[in-house]
Amino acid sequence: MSVLGQALAVARKDLLLGWRGRTRTLAVALFGMVTLVLFSFAVAADGEVGVSAAAGFLIVALLLSSILALEESFRLEAEDRAIEGLLLLPVDPVAIYYGKAVANTLLLVLLGPILLFLTAIFFSLQLDGANLAGLAVLWFLAAAGIAAPGTLYASMTSRLTGRDVILPLLLFPLTLPILMTGVRSFDLILRGDAMSQLKGWILLLTAFDLVYWILCGALFSRTLEE
Amino acid sequence: MNPSVVTSNLAKRFGHKWALAHVDLEVEAGQGLLVVGDNGSGKTTLLRLLAGLLLPTLGKVEIFGAPPQEPGSGARARLGLVGHQGYLYDALSPLETLEFWNRLAGGARSPADLEALLDQAGLAADRNRRVGGFSAGMRKRLSILRLHLEKPDVVLLDEPFSALDEAGRGWLLGTLADLRRGGATLIVASHDPERAAPLCDRAIRMDQGQVIWQGAAFGQGWAAR
Repeated sequence: MSVLGQALAVARKDLLLGWRGRTRTLAVALFGMVTLVLFSFAVAADGEVGVSAAAGFLIVALLLSSILALEESFRLEAEDRAIEGLLLLPVDPVAIYYGKAVANTLLLVLLGPILLFLTAIFFSLQLDGANLAGLAVLWFLAAAGIAAPGTLYASMTSRLTGRDVILPLLLFPLTLPILMTGVRSFDLILRGDAMSQLKGWILLLTAFDLVYWILCGALFSRTLEE
Repeated sequence: MNPSVVTSNLAKRFGHKWALAHVDLEVEAGQGLLVVGDNGSGKTTLLRLLAGLLLPTLGKVEIFGAPPQEPGSGARARLGLVGHQGYLYDALSPLETLEFWNRLAGGARSPADLEALLDQAGLAADRNRRVGGFSAGMRKRLSILRLHLEKPDVVLLDEPFSALDEAGRGWLLGTLADLRRGGATLIVASHDPERAAPLCDRAIRMDQGQVIWQGAAFGQGWAAR
């Protein structure tokens, strides 16, 4: 079986497990929603919040929610040492990585409509057909940019005591480029792109995504070693 | 002769404790090796090193001349391990589990074959139940079915008879006998050596991470301290 076929089998399995364990999947969405609610209360005293700040809150909510999703992805592999079962099959570790990273990306993408809708309500964003398409593409790129290093680090920390603390400590600094380019792009989509900067920011975000997806895929097998 | 498993000066340390030290083994292709020893003697560590799931602290392991800890070496594709864990996902059914393993192993088995395998293991009636609700014996039977999918050249078994009822033990013995007839090498670590000994030619006894005795499996010399 090709690496692509193996990766698809792993992704399908992860999505099925996510669906079967939807109480925990729902908890990920609820966590993101609660984060946005807290941000909205925290800034209410200062009056109107800028679009950039709202975009920042949105990406940070995605980042915080992703920690729960990523930990869950490898908690299921650690139970009954299922990951070892995969390694004992003739499976390329690269396929395991890309399968899990794709499943994690899709899960984070699914959070998009909920979190974007709440952000629009709490921070009075004007959403219409024209900017929704751009926001959807941007959300996908941001989710992919978080899921790629997140899957690598979740694997690395899955057998550690205190992984709940270590995973965000490792992941958050690495996602700063995604956070910055994501927020800037959101800002340009929502406030207008008078100087045609959006394309450059999107390309930069895409470049970070590509670097993370290639590099993390190459390094993943090292995280599976004892 | 063609050795399928070779270890030289194999050692493994966890923290300050040496779980395994100076283990030199050579198992010929198609041979059966019984590994006996008390709890903590290093049997499981040895099997996990052979499977490539642990990296040696010292020494080396070769499966048909290739190191099993390197995913691209091809050694892992020739190995099967039935251990204390079943490598199962609680939220999947046995049929979904077999379909998933089968896909990853190359998809050689048809859906009808997978159903037949579940039938052989006595799990046909439960094929759509989630594995999380299974007893330890049912989980073990399902994990043993991996051997039917993988058809490994080297079969590593760590306490294979634990959790199985009498019928399950008989089924496992039949499975292992079939694998041996097909030329597979068996390495069996067991607290129930009388049951495993007929499948094996040689035996070793381990104590505190070292091989303290080796000889024929059928003479029950492994029982002597």
